Amino acid sequence: MSAVEDRAEGIRLLRDSAAAISPRNGPLGRVRALRSTEAGFDRAVLAEMGALGWLGLRVAEEAGGAGLGVAELCALAEELGHGLAPEPFVAVAAIAAPLVPEEDVIAGARVLLPAWAEKPHAVDASGTTSAAIDGATLRVTGRKIAVPMAAGADGFLVTAREGDALSVVLVETGVPGVTLHAESTVDGGHLGTLTLEAARCVRVAEDASSRIARLLDEAAIATAAELVGLMDRAFAITLDYLNTRQQFGKPIGAFQVLQHRAADLKIQLELARAAVSHAASVCDDGAPAAQRAAAASLAKARASDAALTVTRQAIQLHGGIGYTDEADIGLFLRRAMVLAACFGTATAHRRRYAEAAPPLDVDA
Amino acid sequence: MNEMTRPAPDDLNAMPDDAFRTHVRGWIQANCPPELRHPPKRLHWSQSKPWYMALAKQGWLAPGWPREVGGMGLSPSKQIIFIEELERHGAPRTNDMGITMIGPLLIRYGTDAQRARFLPRILAGEDIWCQGYSEPNAGSDLASLRTEAVLEGGHYVVNGSKIWTTLANDANWIFLLVRTDRQAKKQDGISFLLCPMDLPGITVRPIVTLDMHDEFCEVFFDNVRVPAENLVGQPNKGWTMAKALLGFERIFLGSPKQSTYALAKLAQVAEHMGVADDPVFAERFTRLRMDLEDLKALYETQVAKLRRGEELGADVSMLKVWQSELYQRITETAFEIAGEEGVMVNPIGGNRSLNPAASFIQSRVVSIYGGSNEIQRGIIAKNVLGLPG
Repeated sequence: MSAVEDRAEGIRLLRDSAAAISPRNGPLGRVRALRSTEAGFDRAVLAEMGALGWLGLRVAEEAGGAGLGVAELCALAEELGHGLAPEPFVAVAAIAAPLVPEEDVIAGARVLLPAWAEKPHAVDASGTTSAAIDGATLRVTGRKIAVPMAAGADGFLVTAREGDALSVVLVETGVPGVTLHAESTVDGGHLGTLTLEAARCVRVAEDASSRIARLLDEAAIATAAELVGLMDRAFAITLDYLNTRQQFGKPIGAFQVLQHRAADLKIQLELARAAVSHAASVCDDGAPAAQRAAAASLAKARASDAALTVTRQAIQLHGGIGYTDEADIGLFLRRAMVLAACFGTATAHRRRYAEAAPPLDVDA
Repeated sequence: MNEMTRPAPDDLNAMPDDAFRTHVRGWIQANCPPELRHPPKRLHWSQSKPWYMALAKQGWLAPGWPREVGGMGLSPSKQIIFIEELERHGAPRTNDMGITMIGPLLIRYGTDAQRARFLPRILAGEDIWCQGYSEPNAGSDLASLRTEAVLEGGHYVVNGSKIWTTLANDANWIFLLVRTDRQAKKQDGISFLLCPMDLPGITVRPIVTLDMHDEFCEVFFDNVRVPAENLVGQPNKGWTMAKALLGFERIFLGSPKQSTYALAKLAQVAEHMGVADDPVFAERFTRLRMDLEDLKALYETQVAKLRRGEELGADVSMLKVWQSELYQRITETAFEIAGEEGVMVNPIGGNRSLNPAASFIQSRVVSIYGGSNEIQRGIIAKNVLGLPG
C-alpha cells in the first residue's frame, strides 16, 4: 500500500470508530436531552472521545498525542456533525490540546476552551485584551465573546497582548476577576462572554501570533467539516422524505421542481465537501500562511452558507412537518445557524479571503 | 368609549376613505392594548381575549359581515383600510376563525337556524372556532383528505385526524371537511361539518413548532358522534363551499405588513451592529427596500381590483410568493449581519422585538403555510400563464 492509500485507510477506520459516539443515522435523543442543560454537552462523552484518542489527534506522538493531520481532524468533525454531537470537539482537539498537551486535557477530563474573539464577525485574535506581570503574577484583563459551551469549561485559553506580541494565557474558571455570562443559543447550547479583570493566569504560548492564526484556521476548517457532516445528513433525511411522502398520487420527489431543488442542494453540499477537503490538504502540506488562510476562508464561508441553504430548504421540502420541533430536521437548521457563526461567519471569511487570496490571474 | 361617540355603521361606509382611516386609527390607538401589539408569537385566547372583546364591544369584530347579523357591513375597500390600520398598529391576530371563516360560510350557505345559533355566540366571544382542513396525508393535496363521516341515524360518526389546526387548544368548536362519499371523485365526496370540541372521542395534541410555540395542534376523531343538523349546506358540496370561501382574504398573505415591520427591525439590527453605513450593507438594504416598494405597488393593483368590486384572480398568488420570500430575505439579512449575536435565543439588548434568530426561524413557515410557494407557483404557471399539465 502507498502512503496515500495507507492514510485513506486510516481515515476510513477513524470514521468507522466515530460510530461509537455518533453512529451514522443514529437517533438524536441524546442531542435533544442535552438542549438547554447548563453545560450543554456531556463530559462523559468528551472523556470517551479522549479515550478513543481523538482529542490528542493533533498533538505530536512524542507529546502523548496521535500526531495526525487536519484531514483526520476533519473526518472526525464531519462524523460528529452528522450526529449533531454538542461536545466541543473542534475547540478541544484543534486548539486546546495542541496548546496544552497535558494528559488530562487529551483525556477530556479537564476541559479548556479557546476564548479569542472580541467582536462579532471576528476571524482572528486581534483585540485589546492584555496580560502583564504584576509582582510575580501574570494577570489578564479584557473581554472575550462567543465562547461555545463556556459554562462546561474548567478553564479558558485566552489570547492576550503582551507588549507587541500575542500570547495565549490559561485562566481557570472561578478565580477572582473572572466573570462568565452564558447566553442560550437556538440549538440548545450557549455562548459565553468572558470578562477578565486582572485575573490570575498562566502563559501557555508566547509570541504566538502565527501559531494562533494557524490553529484558528484549522479550527475553522474542522468546523466547516462538521457543517458538511450536518448538511449531508439533513440532505439524506430530506431525500428520504422526497422519496416517501405521497401527494397527488405520487412521491413528491417525482415533481421536477423538487428534483431540481434537490440537485441544487447536492451541488452546494459537494462544493462544501470539496472546499473542506482542499483546505485540509493545504494545511497538511504545510502551505504558507496566506494560502492556508485563503483555503480556510473558502471552506468556512462555503460550508456556512451551504449548510444554511441546505437546512432551510430541508425544512421547506418537508412542508408543515418540517416546521415542528418534533421533526428532527429542525435540529439541523438550529445547529447550522450556530456553527455557521463559529470560528468566523461567512461574511468574515469572505472579507478575509479578499485580503488573503493571491491576485486574480487576469490572463488565465 | 361611550355609546354616543360610536358612529352608526351606515356612517362608516359613507365616510370618505381618509376620514374613515383617521377614525379607525384613532380608535385602535386608544383601545388596542400596547402590550399585545406586534406579538413575537401568535397569541392564545387567554392573551388576546381583551382585544377581541374590545372589538366586540365596539361592534368592530366582523368588518365583512352584513349589518343584519351583527357585522360592520363594510365595503371591500373599507375593509382593506380597516385591516391596514390594524396591521399598522401591530394589533394582534385573535382567535378569529369564527369571524373570517365559519361566519361567512354560514352567512352564505347556512340555514337560518344555524345562523341564529352560531353567529351571536361568535360575536360575543362565547364560541371560539378552529379549522379542521389539513390532514397528515392531505396537505398540499387537500382534496385527498380521508377523515370520514358516516351517517348513522341522526348523527354523523367521524373518524380520522386533522393537523395544523391553529389554536385548537383554545377552541370549543371545529369546522371540518370530512369525506362522506368514498366512491365519488375526490373533490365530490367532501362535506362541511360543525363539531363541538367537547364530544367524546376527540383528542387534541398540541404540536410544538420550530419556534417552540404550541400554535398548531393535531386533532383526533375516534367514533365522534356529531348531530346531523350540524352539516352545512348540501352533503358532498363541502369542497365547493370551502373553495368559494377563499375570497379576497387571500390578498392578506401578500400584505406588505410583515416585510415592512421586518425591514424596520433590520435597520435597527444594522444600527446595533454598526453596519448601517457600511456600503455593502447599504446596497443590500436599499435593494430590499426597493423590493418592498414594488411589493406595495403590486399589492395596490390587487386592492384596486377589490375597490372596483372585482374578484381576485389566480394572479394574487404572485403577491404571496413575492411577499413571503422578501420577508425571508429580510430576516436572513438580519441574521447574517448579526453574526454571533444572531444565534441567541434572547433578543438583542433586551429589546423584545429585536430578535434576528427567532425571526429567521419563524420566517421559515411563511413559504409553507397558506398554500406552499411551490403550490402557488404551480397556480401561476397553470392558471395565470396557461401552461400545460
